Amino acid sequence: MPRAFSRGFAVRFGFSASLILGASASLLAQAPMVDITPPAGTIAITGGKVLTVSHGTIENGVVLIEGGKISAVGTAASVKVPKGSTVVDAKGMTVYPGIIDSETRLGLSEIASDRMTNDTVEPSDEILPQMHVYDAFHAESEHIPITRFNGITNAIVAPASSDTIPGQDSFIQLAGRDRDSMLMVKDVALAMNFGEEPKRNGRGEGGAAGGASRYPSTRMGEISQMRQALIDVQEYMARSGRPAGGEAGGAAPAAGRGGAGGGTSTLLRNEALVPYLKGEKPVVLGVYDGHDVETAMAFAQEFHLKVILSHVTRGQDVLDKIASYHVPVIVGPIFDLPTANERFDAVYSIPGELQKRGVKVILASYNVSNSRNLPYEAGFAVAYGLPYDEAMKAITLNAAEAFGMGDKLGSLDVGKIANVVIADGDPLDVRTSVKQVYINGVAIPMENRQTKLRDEYWPKK
Amino acid sequence: MSPFVPRLASASGAASMILLSAGSAMVAAQSPTAPADLVIKNATVMTASHGTIQHGSVWLHNGKIAGVGTTVSAPAGATVIDATGKYVTPGIIDPHSHSALGDDVNEATSPVTPSMMMIDAFDNRDKALYQALAGGVTSELLLHGSANMIGGQAVVIKNKFGLSKEEMLFPNAPRSIKFASGENPKRVYGTRNQLPSTRMGNFEVMRQSFEDAKVYQREWDAYNERVAKGEKDVRPPHRDLKLEALADILRGKLLVQIHCYRADEFLTEEAIAKEYGFKIRAFHHALEMYKVGGKIAADGTGIATFTDWYGGKYEMWDGIPWNAVMSMREGVRVALKSDSNDHIRRLNQEAGKMVHYGGATEDEAITMVTLNPAWIMGIDDKTGSLDVGKDGDVVIWNMDPLSTYARAEKVYIDGDLFFDSSLPGFGTTHFSGVMHGSGFGAGEDDDDEGGN
Repeated sequence: MPRAFSRGFAVRFGFSASLILGASASLLAQAPMVDITPPAGTIAITGGKVLTVSHGTIENGVVLIEGGKISAVGTAASVKVPKGSTVVDAKGMTVYPGIIDSETRLGLSEIASDRMTNDTVEPSDEILPQMHVYDAFHAESEHIPITRFNGITNAIVAPASSDTIPGQDSFIQLAGRDRDSMLMVKDVALAMNFGEEPKRNGRGEGGAAGGASRYPSTRMGEISQMRQALIDVQEYMARSGRPAGGEAGGAAPAAGRGGAGGGTSTLLRNEALVPYLKGEKPVVLGVYDGHDVETAMAFAQEFHLKVILSHVTRGQDVLDKIASYHVPVIVGPIFDLPTANERFDAVYSIPGELQKRGVKVILASYNVSNSRNLPYEAGFAVAYGLPYDEAMKAITLNAAEAFGMGDKLGSLDVGKIANVVIADGDPLDVRTSVKQVYINGVAIPMENRQTKLRDEYWPKK
Repeated sequence: MSPFVPRLASASGAASMILLSAGSAMVAAQSPTAPADLVIKNATVMTASHGTIQHGSVWLHNGKIAGVGTTVSAPAGATVIDATGKYVTPGIIDPHSHSALGDDVNEATSPVTPSMMMIDAFDNRDKALYQALAGGVTSELLLHGSANMIGGQAVVIKNKFGLSKEEMLFPNAPRSIKFASGENPKRVYGTRNQLPSTRMGNFEVMRQSFEDAKVYQREWDAYNERVAKGEKDVRPPHRDLKLEALADILRGKLLVQIHCYRADEFLTEEAIAKEYGFKIRAFHHALEMYKVGGKIAADGTGIATFTDWYGGKYEMWDGIPWNAVMSMREGVRVALKSDSNDHIRRLNQEAGKMVHYGGATEDEAITMVTLNPAWIMGIDDKTGSLDVGKDGDVVIWNMDPLSTYARAEKVYIDGDLFFDSSLPGFGTTHFSGVMHGSGFGAGEDDDDEGGN
């Protein structure tokens, strides 16, 4: 580790830093995989500015971690540090819950230009709810330790958005000994996409023309095809009680599946959709333009789906309408460009404008290598009107709640999983460095492929 | 007349007369709304060349910087802006942009196309220019893409959004030419089963081009020599635009800007440049410069790099966010750049990341998006820092520009206000009409590598 880094860290953390680094050193050989079995004993993070997210900021606060859970949060005066605790002096530091990125492709894409390292979406059909990203999730991806280095501890992994129903999302923890220990919820939500992107109109990525057009090549086609699929599931559910073994038992007629690539089981497809038609799990509606938002919401209401809206970066005209739906909204990426003849801050200001209207705002990177920049996206939302505390919620508690993890993650509260970050300043500021990340109460080695290259080549003089 | 005239007239000697005439020429070139004297006072002034001045002032006189310091001796009639609590920097400069070139970034029909002039594609009403202006960007180098080993010649602009195409060109800026290397050219031509489809092919294409250029140069040198000797009836050689551009590279008339990622390729490029006797102004992207920074620093080549992009392809896999600061510590002149219609809007925050990744000082960080990119473009004698005599390209920020929360409030170019965020609508002062959508680089995931 270059002196500049290790020294600043050690001075601020006092004696305890060596304990953490010592513990980390034994894990170096194993990175990026980290055993997150909680250590015995108590970790006491003392003296820091504690952003609880759920109940305000505590100056000179104490956070106790025991058995992988948060066991106490409060002022230095109110929380007694048990004897024998590993004390981490966080004086001058900020302590906050691990960041949750509500849409990423982490583990689905390693090197974007190499198809062999990408499993982001199955392009052979449009309606594929039986695709589970956990079947592709590559736990050893180098992007994961790089991302958690900046304080992102959890993420929703979603398929890319070029199908109307590309599959189901997983909720992951960004550390674990193997894939299964990183998957917190295997099928946490269903991805659905509307508008331009899922069209089979022969245009490739970036709108390049040239391919053959097929059904559904318009918005009408997309909606009609999805409507048919959901009606098929309703009929399938009405016939429930039948043994599920009836495979191609006519549950889903091929009619209306114009673009079907064939070979996919209608049984698996129908079964996959059942929890969503029962409203047991959320669907994430990916939609950018205002008029598409209205179309998508009307469709979701038709089938009583439990909705999380996503993107809405060209939804400036329907902000009041969006608020009237009373659903959580993942906005972004906030760095989407305004269209011609919009004011330069037309997208930056959307989170603030929605929050002002009572919407529970969430932010996401929708990315792999830029997931680590999610805190800065939240900072941009603050610069353009989102209150600071709401911006912190947008990348922690609101995300956890929308995906049914609000009792486990998203804030510094007793009983929650000890995903805790210590940084040397405001977490949303680009100048701030994360000093230590805890996942499940385990001090994660603050290293990754990039820090290894840094340390190998750090200028000697 | 402006208030400074009596003061100058009271000074003695011819110098003041020269100043006067120069001054009036400037006034003529300016918009009528620009005050002859503008003082921004009580600001934190980040000069980019000589540190940060607390409670400082910047005096713009007829479009040029006339004073920078804790006090300035501006005339009594000067327009004064109280910038208490605010920050002032030179305009942000982006040395690698493809904005406003529509879909005409790559003439990807031959790996050597040095006679392509990017100005022929420049659309001065592209919204990307406006969005960059609102992010404090006052100058850009608009480059050919990276499909070709030797691409086209760049446009250097002042971001005077709303003015005519000609008025947006940076006056007397040196010519730059874009080279590429690595995966993009070999992919573009390799997928067509053409040369080059490997890195060996890439560099062979380059060497052959310079061999051809040497022959062409010799023919013209011989001709010019005979003409100079007064020989009559000498027939000039055939004028070939492609070879002429290549010969101009050998003659040192063009700043060579090379898209290049890998450490081995920096070394190869430098070796070829030495073999043919030209200088490389900057490596662009340069993600592996931290591996060989000392060597490249000795060659005097700068870099224009991303802050934290990595991993999009194999040659980006060893990209680390400490690259810029590590290279700087090895003596390389480092600029940050956008290569994106998104990032160009927030290069100041990209600079802020350098405080985080490697511990750059705030002064060092701001230099990476002002003076150093100006050097790469060969315009550092005219802009890029707050120094007396330089162009009045200045941004007022609501707070420290390296903060995530910083917003550009006012952007001046040549002393004239082009963007004011407090204005209704776009916040522009010279623009009217309709903006155009962007082509290449319009999406948030684009990287110039484009090449296709």
